Amino acid sequence: MAMQKYSVFSLIKNAFKGHKEWEVAWKDPTPKAEYDVIIIGGGGHGLATAYYLAKEHNISKVAIIEKGWIGGGNVGRNTTIIRSNYMHDENGLFSEFGMNLWRNMSLDLNFNVMFSPRGIINLAHSDAQMNAYSRRGNSMRLNGIDAVLLNREEVRKIIPMADFSENVRFPIFGGLMQPSAGTARHDAVAWGYARQADAMGVDIIQNCEVTGFDVSNGKILGIRTSKGDIKAKKIGLCVAGSTNILAEKLNMTLPIETHLLQACVSEPIKPILDNVVTFGAGHFYCSQSDKGEMVMGGDLDGYNSYAQRGNLPTLQHVLTEGIAMFPFLSKLKMLRTWGGIMDMSMDGSPIIDKTHIEGLYLNCGWCYGGFKATPASGWTFAHTIAQDRPHELNEGYSLNRFRTGHLIDEKGLGTKTWIS
Amino acid sequence: MLHIKCPHCGLRSQNEFSYGGDASVKRPELNKEVSDQDWDNFVYLRKSQRGKHLELWQHISGCRQWIKVERDTFTHEIFKTLKANEEV
Amino acid sequence: MSENFRIEKGGLINRNKKISFKFNGKKYFGFEGDTLASALIANGVHLVGRSFKYHRPRGFFGAGVDEPYAIVQMNRNNEVDPNVRATEQELFEGLEAKSVNCWPNVDFDIGAINNFLGKFFPAGFYYKTFMWPRSFWYKVYEPIIRKAAGFGAASIKHDKERYEHKYEYCDLLITGSGPSGLASAYAAAQNGAKVILAEDKSRFGGSLLTSEVTIGNQSGQEWAEKIISELKSMPNVIVKNRSQVFGYYDHNMLVMSERVSDHLPKTEKYIPKQRLWYIRAKEVIISSGSIERPLVFGNNDTPGVMLSSAAKEYLKIYGVLVGKKPLVFTNNDSGYETAIEFKKNGVDPIVLDTRKDPNSEIIKEAKQLNINIKSSYVVVTAKGYKKVKSADIAKISDDKKNLSNIENIQCDCICVSGFWTPTIHLASQSGNKTKFNDEIDAFIPSQSKQKETTLGSANGIFTLEETLKTSFEKGSELSKQITNKENNVSIPTVVEKKSSNHDKFWCVPLPEGKNYKRFLDFQNDVAVSDIQLALREGYRSIEHVKRYTTLGMATDQGRTSNLNGLQLVSDIENKVVPQVGHTTFRPPYSPVSIGAIVGREIGKHSKPTRKSPMHYWHEKNNAVFVDAGVWLRPRYYKQGNENLFEASKREAKNVRQNVGVCDVTTLGKIDIKGPDSAEFLNRVYTNAWLKLPVGKARYGVMLREDGIVMDDGTTTRISENHYHMTTTTAQAANVLSHLEYYLQLVWPELNVNVVSSTEQWAGAAIAGPKSREVLQKLFPDLNVSNEGLPFMGYMEGNLFGVNAKIYRISFSGELAYEVNVESDNGNYMWEKIMEIGKEFNIQPYGTEALSTLRIEMGHVAGSELDGRTIPYDNSLDGLVSKKKDFIGKRSLSKTAYIAPDRQKVVGVVPLDKKTSIPEGSYIVKDAKAKLPNPKLGHVSASCWSVEYDNPFSLAIIKDGKNMIGQKLFAMSPLKNKTIPVEIVSSHYVDPKGERVRS
Repeated sequence: MAMQKYSVFSLIKNAFKGHKEWEVAWKDPTPKAEYDVIIIGGGGHGLATAYYLAKEHNISKVAIIEKGWIGGGNVGRNTTIIRSNYMHDENGLFSEFGMNLWRNMSLDLNFNVMFSPRGIINLAHSDAQMNAYSRRGNSMRLNGIDAVLLNREEVRKIIPMADFSENVRFPIFGGLMQPSAGTARHDAVAWGYARQADAMGVDIIQNCEVTGFDVSNGKILGIRTSKGDIKAKKIGLCVAGSTNILAEKLNMTLPIETHLLQACVSEPIKPILDNVVTFGAGHFYCSQSDKGEMVMGGDLDGYNSYAQRGNLPTLQHVLTEGIAMFPFLSKLKMLRTWGGIMDMSMDGSPIIDKTHIEGLYLNCGWCYGGFKATPASGWTFAHTIAQDRPHELNEGYSLNRFRTGHLIDEKGLGTKTWIS
Repeated sequence: MLHIKCPHCGLRSQNEFSYGGDASVKRPELNKEVSDQDWDNFVYLRKSQRGKHLELWQHISGCRQWIKVERDTFTHEIFKTLKANEEV
Repeated sequence: MSENFRIEKGGLINRNKKISFKFNGKKYFGFEGDTLASALIANGVHLVGRSFKYHRPRGFFGAGVDEPYAIVQMNRNNEVDPNVRATEQELFEGLEAKSVNCWPNVDFDIGAINNFLGKFFPAGFYYKTFMWPRSFWYKVYEPIIRKAAGFGAASIKHDKERYEHKYEYCDLLITGSGPSGLASAYAAAQNGAKVILAEDKSRFGGSLLTSEVTIGNQSGQEWAEKIISELKSMPNVIVKNRSQVFGYYDHNMLVMSERVSDHLPKTEKYIPKQRLWYIRAKEVIISSGSIERPLVFGNNDTPGVMLSSAAKEYLKIYGVLVGKKPLVFTNNDSGYETAIEFKKNGVDPIVLDTRKDPNSEIIKEAKQLNINIKSSYVVVTAKGYKKVKSADIAKISDDKKNLSNIENIQCDCICVSGFWTPTIHLASQSGNKTKFNDEIDAFIPSQSKQKETTLGSANGIFTLEETLKTSFEKGSELSKQITNKENNVSIPTVVEKKSSNHDKFWCVPLPEGKNYKRFLDFQNDVAVSDIQLALREGYRSIEHVKRYTTLGMATDQGRTSNLNGLQLVSDIENKVVPQVGHTTFRPPYSPVSIGAIVGREIGKHSKPTRKSPMHYWHEKNNAVFVDAGVWLRPRYYKQGNENLFEASKREAKNVRQNVGVCDVTTLGKIDIKGPDSAEFLNRVYTNAWLKLPVGKARYGVMLREDGIVMDDGTTTRISENHYHMTTTTAQAANVLSHLEYYLQLVWPELNVNVVSSTEQWAGAAIAGPKSREVLQKLFPDLNVSNEGLPFMGYMEGNLFGVNAKIYRISFSGELAYEVNVESDNGNYMWEKIMEIGKEFNIQPYGTEALSTLRIEMGHVAGSELDGRTIPYDNSLDGLVSKKKDFIGKRSLSKTAYIAPDRQKVVGVVPLDKKTSIPEGSYIVKDAKAKLPNPKLGHVSASCWSVEYDNPFSLAIIKDGKNMIGQKLFAMSPLKNKTIPVEIVSSHYVDPKGERVRS
């Protein structure tokens, strides 16, 4: 059955029929007894993986198993930033591949994910930091990624509301900008992938909890769920902050810790900020949504947590840096706060790899960077599952790197995952 | 903000402490053979379960002692706190 | 046209004090004690704003925090407040406010065209269009959408207001001063408990201010006043109005925002605008009351439609009629209370009751007052655009499915009551597993996770008698457990009218052929049809419904819409409400000023600033400072018109030729004592420490367990069991924690103590060929010759009367000494050094010259030890002991770390000997290679070599040791630079290190 196409014409046509003829975006099937591939986790990465399995590898006997509702994890609770401003080649090339998928996503999915290349600016507050950003920016440029180094005056022209006053603790020296970076409507990404995956035959099974795995002779055979046992030739684990919970059922310990990251939005105000801006003398980033809310985030709560709720001192700390960067924020009100649980890896970079169990594949360790990676993660994970080997884009994201020492540590902070 | 009972100083707010991660990690002994796997497990693998979690905190703005805290990572309930040399 | 809606007398406002204010440029009058909303309504103004999506006219719906849409922009104290709820803003003389989200004005708003095109804009329409062509979303469609959204406009001016924080501990925190709050606070206070009673509004008493009840022999209002004044007089009680507890966090930490000055024309000096209270409470009583639910019918967002409780509040507290031809539409008895109030004030209301045959004391009273009551009647739709002009009403069948006898009646307001929703936000925030109560069609708290108790209507108890009884008891019981005292308080008798059951019906069906918009979420324009569409399209989880339609996502966080939304989904999906679920409430209960959350840590005070004891000398001598973490360090000392480059070159040259002095106070210093100190250092550092003699220093590198260099520095053996360690400025705190970790947890058998002594010592590095001469004059009694104080030697001395420690260590690569004195003597020492050094041409040098000196010597520092490199990368192989074990050693044998082409630090010189290589450049073989161009490594530090007078850089490149002599390129695409370079040894100057030993 062909999928109903979304367009301005279909919108007008349906308007005259009282919007009574819109079809479901995805069905609510009962699980079959067996699939070629089961993806555990109906978040952005899982949904994208299923979509690319069907689209790129013609594997559509696929089920997504989701404990709650699709898009309810970090894809539904992030600050919507999309960028590829990485220093390390592995991260840069992977993310830039993703940027191309983002640019085409709305048309590819026939779902407006509102990708908005409004540019990201990382502010620098010392020459040393300008040099560190040069190192990052030059690496990006040599990798074919757009990057511009801005001086103080150039920054002032773009974001005059930043603190250029005398009364500033850390004056702005300049910044690194990636003009092609931006934001997207987070929920739409999950829904867009879900709708297309569903149309291509993927079963999206919600409210279905994985309770165990069927492993025999080092080979995965299927899963046990709250809706019964399901067999599968291959299984992809794609559950971000819940990775350790499922890994425990497989007797696996991973170089991953689960931590809480909070974010908040202000009340909506008229457009004032077009770009995404990050503070250099601490951890704070900010953009303005299409609704007018200032979307703000920063530090981890700083201790292992599975609670999707945080404490105020962390937000106080984050907002202190917010006002240090944008003093006008002081007059706004904090409207809504939320928390997401992050799969923090021991070098700050993700893992997309096979495991020691045949047929079991792992996708985790996204730290704070999961949302922007959604399409590239899905694309490369689909490849890894379908071909039973990583694509060159995700070769560096191996589990083995902790053994060999080929770590990808953007921040140079090592294994203390809670220090951001 | 968590309220942590330092076994040396008493109940204090969390902002006096800094976190130290999984307390079950045991460093291999010095000058002893250790396999690659055991070493890497020590360096990179952490218990990070949902529920009861034994972890380290340092009372950094207080007595500077490292302490062990048994806390639920989902509810944040603290069951007990111990001195560095005490076992659960 | 401004008609007066103020009744002759009554209300709690101060009629003796008239207040003038401006709204949308027009001048009006109100009274002291008014809110902006009550004063506007008194002046007949009901149109205050426009809705988010369709830009429909918006008026007042509530009378306080329940208000979903009356948001204005305010000017106060010469500052702009972009989003202020008019129902909460107290009136003050000279208040100026204007409407938001409308252009050119609220009366005529271009954006309202959306309303007429509304049928093309159902929920989620933007996901289905604006996709083609690709770039149009960001360039064309989105800017239009962005402009149309948002409420007030923020000023980019810095906020001049003052915000403060306060920390409190108490036995009982009580949130809300209605009957349950007052009774529990009173009982607890009598038992000697330390109580904080917080009231969101300016007036204490909650529902007692508007209800017709008798407590003991007093009216509810009098009783509330009496209790409050008694509580205020008790030393163990803090009573706060204008104070909202907005967040319930872990371990019974609650946060309250006190609006100290928002109700005043300006903030007095030294008084904050708002104060944030962090309160750690042993027990929390949630007495936050309940909010009336809307009934849903056609065009129920028209200005003039409002909650019946709000209409009653405007009348009883502010003496204001919300209309003169009121229609009361109710499914329970509460609407009758409002109707009776209207009647008592000479206005004839019509009551439409959805119930067939309602009967209760209050209905009897209404009937006795000859109020026109129509049973089994509903409002089908409100009529009027900017204000209600009439309503279509109809008889509804017993099964509530069919409408008949539709007629139009004149009215100027419609007061709705769809029963009550307990305010359970704080309980839910605390982790309470709330449960659905079928009797009241709403959630109430159930299993507590923390120490909280919910009382009164917040707990679903709607009779005053039971509320008071349980609240007195609970307040007494909880406080007794803490104070062990019990002073019994007698529970007063209560006279109140008994209510009959409410009708579960709340959403009026559409009449045949009509397509009225029936709104659930008034601010975000979410209508019944939007929810139906979401469900039709498969967005069936309540979270999907909310996100797809934006229900409950507005600035009121769905206080009046959430429950109706759940009810609707449960009706359509044929599930009971608890199966549909409900979203978890998260702080804040109501939006909180970001300024208040941050408090005083703004501007210069956003982070601490640390200064050395010599700071003011540097300042006086034209130092230009640089931030080094939270420290300020002199970067260079400006002479005449010098720039950074010229000054640092001069300073560095003077060190190489004569002698310079550098403030090194910021270095981390750790005192290490105990019989096992040597063994400990031997485990911490990569090199050997067991044989270091007393009076000698040694350079050491410490690793993390993953083999990465953590820090470097020198440690000196002061006496047998006493060492003095230095760390880099940046890592000082981390290193101390690291040492404590190993001593306390890993090797507790070692008898060693460590303590930070960074603040105890001021340090000056005296460097250069003439430094010994300076030192000799500073310490004439000491033998500081190369034999008396050899390289890496240590001695103590007396510097013109103060004790000093002298370390012969060098970062600059020159003959150098570091002199430390107690911090208080730092400036004295510095001045003495400058005085003595004058004849040797001593000059102070800053961090920039220091960098130059270390770079051309090939000494690695922070830019090489960047948390990603191992000792081998930094040519520190000689410091890695093969014999002994140490922290991180086992990791150094990883495949990547022992690879033959492993990266290594090298020197880089431009072939033209002129072009400086920007730091952060990359070394490549082929400057014209196709992208991605493979990189050999990066340039970590650059300087102008004062020794050779040409640029010199350090780089960490792949297979560094075999690259010496190669001609490659340094590329900085950011700066558009490609520089042909030669790779040389990193030890560019004095490769054998002879100078430091001279």
